[in-house]
Order: sequence, then C-alpha cells, then structure tokens
Amino acid sequence: MNLTTYITEPAGLQSFYEAIVATNETYAPVEKLGKFDYKQIKTPPECQPDSPIEQTMSIKPLFFPKSARVMKYEATAEGTDVTDTTEDPLAGKRVILGVKHCDARGLQVLDEVYKWDYIDTDYQKRRENTIIISARCEQAATHCFCTSLDYDVEQSDAMDVAVINGLDGKVYIQARTEKGEHFLKENASGLAATNGSALEEMKKQYQAFSGSFRLKMDYKEINGKMQSRFESPAFEEVATNCVSCNTCAFVCPTCHCFKITDERIRDEGVRYKSYDSCNNIYFTLMAGGHNPRPAKYRRWRQRAMHKFVYYKERFGVNLCVGCGKCTISCPVNISIFEVVNQVSNV
Amino acid sequence: MEQLLVPTICTVDQLIEETPDVRTYRLKFKDDSLTDSFKWLPGQFVEFSLLGSGECTFCIASSATRKGYFDCSIKRAGIVTADIHNELDEGDEVGIRGPYGNWFPLEELKGKNLLFIGGGIGLAPLRSLIQYAIDTRNEYKDFTILYGARTSADICYKEEIEEWKNNESLKVILTIDKAEEKWKEHVGVVPKILEEKVNPVVENTKVITCGPPIMIKYTLMSLDKLGFAPKDVVTTLEMKMQCGFGKCGRCNIGSTYVCKDGPVFTYEELQKLPDEF
Ligand SMILES: Cc1cc2nc3c(=O)[nH]c(=O)nc-3n(C[C@H](O)[C@H](O)[C@H](O)COP(=O)(O)OP(=O)(O)OC[C@H]3O[C@@H](n4cnc5c(N)ncnc54)[C@H](O)[C@@H]3O)c2cc1C
Ligand code: SF4
Ligand code: SF4
Ligand code: FES
Repeated sequence: MNLTTYITEPAGLQSFYEAIVATNETYAPVEKLGKFDYKQIKTPPECQPDSPIEQTMSIKPLFFPKSARVMKYEATAEGTDVTDTTEDPLAGKRVILGVKHCDARGLQVLDEVYKWDYIDTDYQKRRENTIIISARCEQAATHCFCTSLDYDVEQSDAMDVAVINGLDGKVYIQARTEKGEHFLKENASGLAATNGSALEEMKKQYQAFSGSFRLKMDYKEINGKMQSRFESPAFEEVATNCVSCNTCAFVCPTCHCFKITDERIRDEGVRYKSYDSCNNIYFTLMAGGHNPRPAKYRRWRQRAMHKFVYYKERFGVNLCVGCGKCTISCPVNISIFEVVNQVSNV
Repeated sequence: MEQLLVPTICTVDQLIEETPDVRTYRLKFKDDSLTDSFKWLPGQFVEFSLLGSGECTFCIASSATRKGYFDCSIKRAGIVTADIHNELDEGDEVGIRGPYGNWFPLEELKGKNLLFIGGGIGLAPLRSLIQYAIDTRNEYKDFTILYGARTSADICYKEEIEEWKNNESLKVILTIDKAEEKWKEHVGVVPKILEEKVNPVVENTKVITCGPPIMIKYTLMSLDKLGFAPKDVVTTLEMKMQCGFGKCGRCNIGSTYVCKDGPVFTYEELQKLPDEF
C-alpha cells in the first residue's frame, strides 16, 4: 500500500488536531505541575502535542492499566459467586496525539510478550482500536538515547501517523501504517499530498534532531558484552543508592511485570492486577523466606539484564527504547544508560 | 488479559490430613460439564485461589488417568496456605486456573527404568507421574521409588504408599532422617540411602526427583557420583509465580520462564541457567 505524506502550515496542523479532538475520544500529553502525562483531552488548547519537554509518564497505562479489576466475588448461600468484572477494554476507537516515537516503539516491544502464547486480548483490542499520532521531537532531552537502540527512529512504523515540523516552517504529516493511511484519507482531506521534496525536508529535520544527542552507545556491543557480565562487580556499585521504590518500572514504556492481589470486606472481595517491579524487595520472596534476589544489586542486575540480554534473547528486541523516563524520575538519579555502560566495561 | 486471570469454581470433595502441615484437597468442578475439558499431564500446575485470601501455585498431585477429580497437596507455608489450612473444608469452594506449565518428558520415559526420588512434600508432583506410570505400567521397565521424610509423621500419602509396597511391579524404599522406635524401614537422609542401599542401575534409567532444595543439592551430587548423566535427571523447579502463563515476569530466570518452559527441567537444562533460584 502507498503511504501518503501531507504538507501543511502550523495553522493547518492545528485545524487537523481540532477536527480530531472534535470527533474522536482523544488523548494527548497534558502538563500538570511540570510533569507530562497522557490524558483525555476535550479541547485542543489543552494539548501540546509537539511539546519538546520530557514526558514523565509513558502511554503504557492506556494499554496496560496501572491497576485493573480482574473480578468480584461474593459468598452466597448457594456458594461463591464470581463476576468477571473485566470491562470491555475499549469498545470504540480512540486517538492519541503527540506521542513520542520512543513511547510508540515501547508498544511494539510490549506486543512481543503479549502475543506470545496466551494472548492478551484486552491489550490487543486496545492496540487495534487506537490510532497513534506521533510528534517528532525537535531536540534530544538530557537523558534520551533512542537513536542508539535497535529500531529505526527515522522511519519507525510504531506510530500510525508521524507529524514532523520541518526546518522550513512547514508541517509534514505522514502515514506510517495502513491504518494511518486510512485515517488520513478520512481526516486530512483538506491537506495537500506531497512529493519527493517533502522527504528531503523530513530528512533534514531528522539530521538536526539526531545530531542533538548527548548520549550515544552501540547497542550491539552492549548486548554482546552484557551477556557475559552476570558476575560483574559493577552491579553492586550502580545499585548502591537505589531505594527500591519501583518508580523506574512504573514510568517505563516497556516494563510489564504485575502482581495479583485480593481485597476483601467480609464476604465480598475484589481481585486486582497491578504494576509491580523486579526492584521490589518482595518480588521473588517465597514462602519460608527463600529469596533468589535478596540483595539490591541482584534485583538491579535482573532489571538491566532483562532489558538488554534476556528479552532480546527471548523476543528479539531490547526491552528498552532509550526514552530516559526512568532516569528523569529516579529519586537518586540512577541512569540505565550509565548502568549498562558501566557494567559492560568493568 | 484480565479474563485469563478469572478462576473457575471447584468444590472440595475430600480433605485428607497427610501430615501435621500437609493436607491433600481433592477437587471437582462445581459445573460438572467442565470436568472433561480440564486436561493435564503429570508435572503441570494450577493457580489455586482461596477467595478473599489470595492465589497460590500448586502442582496437580494426581494423574488424569484417575478420572473425575484432581488433587492438590498443600503445605502450610505462608499467608494463603495458612488460611487454606485454617479455613478450607470439605464442601467449600475454591477458584482454579490452569493447568499451566510443561510436563514430564513422557515419550522419553517410555522403555526406560524409572527411578523416583522424593523428599517431603516433593512427592506431590512425582505422585502425579507415579500414578500415570502405574496406569501405563507396560511402557516402562524397572520402577523404583525412594521417598524420604524428616520423621515418620511427615510422610505424605501413607495409604497410597502401602498400596505401592503391595504392588509387586514396584520397588519402594522409605527412609526417615533419624531413628524412631516403631520404624522398620531405612534411617538416613535420601542421598545417603540412594548411594548405600538402592544400588540403582544407571544404564537406560531416568531419574525423576523433587524435594527440598538441600535434598536436591546432595541428591544431584550422589547421582553424579553414581554415574547418571545430567540429561537423564529430571526435576521440577519452584519459583515464585503469579500469572502462571508467561506474562507477569515473576518467575523468570534469565530468559527462561519457569511457568512456561518449566516447571519440569532436566538437570542439564538447570546447569545452563543463571544461578538465581
Ligand atoms: C510450580 C510450583 C508447584 C508447587 N507445588 C506445590 C505443591 O504441590 N504443594 C505445596 O504445598 N506447595 C507447592 N508450591 C509452593 C507454593 O506455591 C507456595 O508454598 C505457596 O504459594 C505459598 O503461599 P503463601 O501465601 O502461603 O505464602 P506467602 O509467603 O504468604 O506468599 C504470598 C504469595 O507469594 C507467592 N509465593 C510464595 N511462595 C511461593 C513459592 N514457593 N512458589 C510460588 N509462589 C509463591 C504466592 O502467590 C503467594 O500467594 C509450588 C510452587 C511452584 C512454583
Ligand atoms: S527509580 Fe531509582 S531508586 Fe527507584 S527503584 Fe528505580 S533505580 Fe531504584
Ligand atoms: S529502561 Fe528507562 S530508558 Fe529504557 S525504556 Fe524504560 S524508562 Fe525508557
Ligand atoms: S508466573 Fe507470570 S510469567 Fe511466569
């Protein structure tokens, strides 16, 4: 299928967004006290879809909720009544605007584990019913290293539609998937389709963007070296300050560990599935007190190895998209970029 | 995924006090029409909910060749298992998800001598395979069961073990750690009895073992000494679990999902895993 690129002015982009918000359930990064999170928006001004600011939360919660009700149960005279309370995860379609390409890539990474054997149909349904419109960053933020990882940031098809602010003052709106192409056919009717010169302009924008990175690494080298660094003494050093708060995993677009808990009030109860993290002290603690990862450095080792060795081995992709969110939010400034570099070199 | 986590209701048909801290619960589906669609092979496990308390992982301790029910033998260990022991009685209802995980390499066991080595509650997963193998006895050659417990009171499945002892096609060796007045069988820890009393044939034999970590550790050393190859020693691994189907990340050891790739592993496979269990 041919994927079309449209060209417009910033005002045209604004109208494009306005039309989307008017007719769709729409989400976008919204600022609150200096932090950005993806929230539903009702009016376009609330949204800052091309914000260059580092986002605090990823779009993960829109696909994999922070805490979901699994079921309700009740003890009755006839026995236990179990009600499947799993709500229809997403009946209608929705659009997310201003998605960072790293966040969009995070979903592609998560797809691998969710489509493996026992298929998570709720997640799948949310994926199918969502149109992702990305906004190309203009500049790398302090902790970004997305261009160093195993995906093509420039040509990524993790989003359905990519919005790129050209250096020439024009806005390029490009379909990246078939779904995106259809969406633009229906929603970008007022915009002009472009030809080859647009690709040149987009390339220039990408070059300026990719030249702005402070952090760079060779992921192949890191993947290779980490494989033999299980015993590296560096893990102990990098984990020293970690307070096992799990923040890094909660904000990460690719972390997906969860726990199952019950809440009971007399004869009624609810079961939840909620985020968890391998940095949690209790994560692998078993009845009787045995814990394969009792020390902090072992848990950090699991985190780093899962991201750069195990997931790659199992599913063929790194479990990290280089978004830097974990580092921005860590209360003690632990940087995954530094961790893997340090471990690889000691 | 949420639907995958919703359990099906089963009823406790029978409760058997095995030892002071182990009980076997015999379960049947409340909706009988589900009974036939619940298919499992020895080695697989279920997620067992005491609703209102929580969910735990237990192997299925009986064989599907014994139809109409399945057993879970539960040791009092932590919060949920204590609640199970304190609250769960015959006629009560529990939630079950599963079966999950892989199973013992049934094809590879055919035509082999089988040597089962169990310790304490570790006999539970072996019992599923033992029953299965008894029900398909012609497929195997020699059939030896070595089972040890701390004291005679800690022996699980006492009545069934009597049946095994009366079955002439099985060799059953029992041991307890320390001598007791009325005890007539062996005394000594499992690896010691294995080396000194069992005299197993190494050739054409598969060893299937499960027990407390310390027993496993020394048993593996003894098996090595006796000349068994790591690929011929099969065991089941215990790792903390939540989902049971490869999503929650809890049970991972390296890139292995114990809940999907296991819980049954050969010793050879275990040797390749990072030392994290
Ligand atoms: C594949 C497999 C088969 C098992 N089969 C049996 C069996 O047949 N009989 C038996 O008595 N025990 C078995 N266990 C161990 C059993 O799962 C734990 O003893 C039990 O979960 C402890 O729960 P608790 O709530 O009492 O303990 P707590 O320490 O209070 O645990 C809280 C939660 O952590 C999890 N958890 C804790 N310990 C373990 C553990 N060792 N393994 C897995 N999850 C754990 C459970 O979800 C539990 O609800 C098996 C474990 C595995 C992995
Ligand atoms: S956010 Fe920082 S302190 Fe908290 S668990 Fe992660 S690394 Fe440790
Ligand atoms: S580990 Fe950190 S940098 Fe990598 S994807 Fe997760 S939040 Fe982003
Ligand atoms: S128990 Fe959830 S992934 Fe294995």
